[in-house]
Amino acid sequence: MARREVLGLFRDAETAAGATTVLHEAGVRQDDIEVLTGAPYPEGAFGEHIKRHRIYLFPMIGAICGFTVAILLTAGTQLAYPVVTGGKPILSVPPMVIITYEGTLLGAILFTVLGVVFESRLPRGKIGLYDPRITEGFIGLVVSCAADQWLAVEQALRRAGAFEVKHEQA
Amino acid sequence: MHEPRDGRHAITETLPETPQEVTEKVLHNHLATGPLFRVAAVFCGVLLLLGVVGFILRVAGGFDDRTKWGYYGAIFFYILTTAQAAPIVSVAMRMAKNHWRRPLARAAELYAIVGVLNLLIFIPLLFVLPSAAGRRSLWLDGAARMNAGGSGWPPLAPHLWIALMLAGLVFLGLALLYTAALPDLATVRDHSTSKRHSMLRRLTLGWRGTPFQWRAHRAALGVLGGLYFMFYISTHSFIAIDYGVALVPGWKDSIFPAFQVLSSLQSALAITLVTMFFLRQTGGYKEFFYVDPFWALSKILLATTILWFYFWWASFFTFWYGRTQAEQNVLQLLMFGPYRPLFILAFLFSFLLPFLLLIWNAVRKSILGPTVAAALVLAGNFFDRLRVYVASFSVEDIRAHQLESVPAAHLPDGADILIILGALGGLVLFYLVGTRLVPVLSMWELKEYLTLRRIRPFLKTHVRVMAKPE
Repeated sequence: MARREVLGLFRDAETAAGATTVLHEAGVRQDDIEVLTGAPYPEGAFGEHIKRHRIYLFPMIGAICGFTVAILLTAGTQLAYPVVTGGKPILSVPPMVIITYEGTLLGAILFTVLGVVFESRLPRGKIGLYDPRITEGFIGLVVSCAADQWLAVEQALRRAGAFEVKHEQA
Repeated sequence: MHEPRDGRHAITETLPETPQEVTEKVLHNHLATGPLFRVAAVFCGVLLLLGVVGFILRVAGGFDDRTKWGYYGAIFFYILTTAQAAPIVSVAMRMAKNHWRRPLARAAELYAIVGVLNLLIFIPLLFVLPSAAGRRSLWLDGAARMNAGGSGWPPLAPHLWIALMLAGLVFLGLALLYTAALPDLATVRDHSTSKRHSMLRRLTLGWRGTPFQWRAHRAALGVLGGLYFMFYISTHSFIAIDYGVALVPGWKDSIFPAFQVLSSLQSALAITLVTMFFLRQTGGYKEFFYVDPFWALSKILLATTILWFYFWWASFFTFWYGRTQAEQNVLQLLMFGPYRPLFILAFLFSFLLPFLLLIWNAVRKSILGPTVAAALVLAGNFFDRLRVYVASFSVEDIRAHQLESVPAAHLPDGADILIILGALGGLVLFYLVGTRLVPVLSMWELKEYLTLRRIRPFLKTHVRVMAKPE
């Protein structure tokens, strides 16, 4: 079934938090509500369920890649120039430490930057239903609903104290 | 200011009351460019041009005589340990989750932009740094492999690796700034028109401020901050060794890299304080930079000032107590010989004078007191970088076993003075340009603070009550 989005704008967080209850009573599922704010709020402040992110995985993978490349590079060059120095083994750990450290961190950094973009679900080609006043302090509730239910959702948002309601053009 | 009914000033905070006011006031200053800004930008631009002239004169003299590049190296290290170090203040305070950092976080991390300038300044220094072959350096095994007909080990050490480190630090600083500023860039996007709007629309990648985005944003700032901390300490340590310790035979000092990191922390705090003062007095941000951030930073500045003495003392005492000719020569070169005036100035400005100022709570709990102390520290760091790097660049035989004789003081020529003025002008110019690109106040952090903070009556006064969601 075709879906449609409705945005309710609220002047304050308290009203917006209360509106989610009204929407639930009107039959809207929690997963169909997205809260838009200009500042971070404590998790669950609007009763929302936040999916787990995997951002910490990215620097880990990057660090492992960087570490591996650095080890291959340092070990490879030592083996390529097998000069015995002071009777020490060809593969010596101390000279590899700096390059390995540097490689590990560089890998972690690059993957973290990629992780930020990926995990924030960015870039978005179209910003979607939005209002610039959200960055001024208004709270936006975007409700995704069946195309034939948007009027009921709009009424529920208004009933809950929405200052303004916008919807996607059909 | 929130005044309790009985007139006693329990709360010194002067922030706007609502998120809307924060947005309005910050955007008003961000989107407008006043005459003072233009005058400062033109003045700094002229200084930068003079610096380019000085640089051309210096390059015309070639790279073979390292002594001539001493002041150039010193100004690179000055920027590295002041402006380029400033983002660490934001990183550290954000990690500590304190609230007084909110007005100053962006002012500090915006200095990441200056890193681009310093990376450009660094490039010629790669040609000045001699090969690791045949001398004591951080890069093990280089000499033996060079002597065996190899190309040194690790390949292109130290040049490639320290360049990578510095480039990594600059990239990381910019990534941190971009990530931290993303929600604020979205705010500017939403309140600007035409060209700026379409540019920011692309730059903000469609940021909307969903809970998931905020969560990922917070995690990203934590990870990038942690990585920045690690990269910051290692880069400062390695570069200080390569351009300082390793160029002076007999200067076997494991404390100096830590001293450089510590003094850069001290100067990072100092440049943040001075920047806050200017933003308050001339930037139109008076209500955002109230006494609390100055007071709080001044306490850490005092701690780092005392640590400056401790680290210097530990390093000095090791050489002084050793008493060999080589050790005495190193002390002569760096402290008591030809660069004694610079050492005395560094000691006074980096430690003694700010210490004597900051031990008084009345000085710390003010706007002007910490700013004056911070300005002294910035001057002290300048003299200290000259003392260390002009001296270390002036040693001719860097492959000797020990420092046999102390070279005479190398005084700056016209090109050096132009380079120093140009670099300082460039530093300020890059920062000023940065303030036009990114709001100099972290709006989202201030707005978050306002959502978490309430002013409540308590007996006969009023107090701040903070929600602690984590």
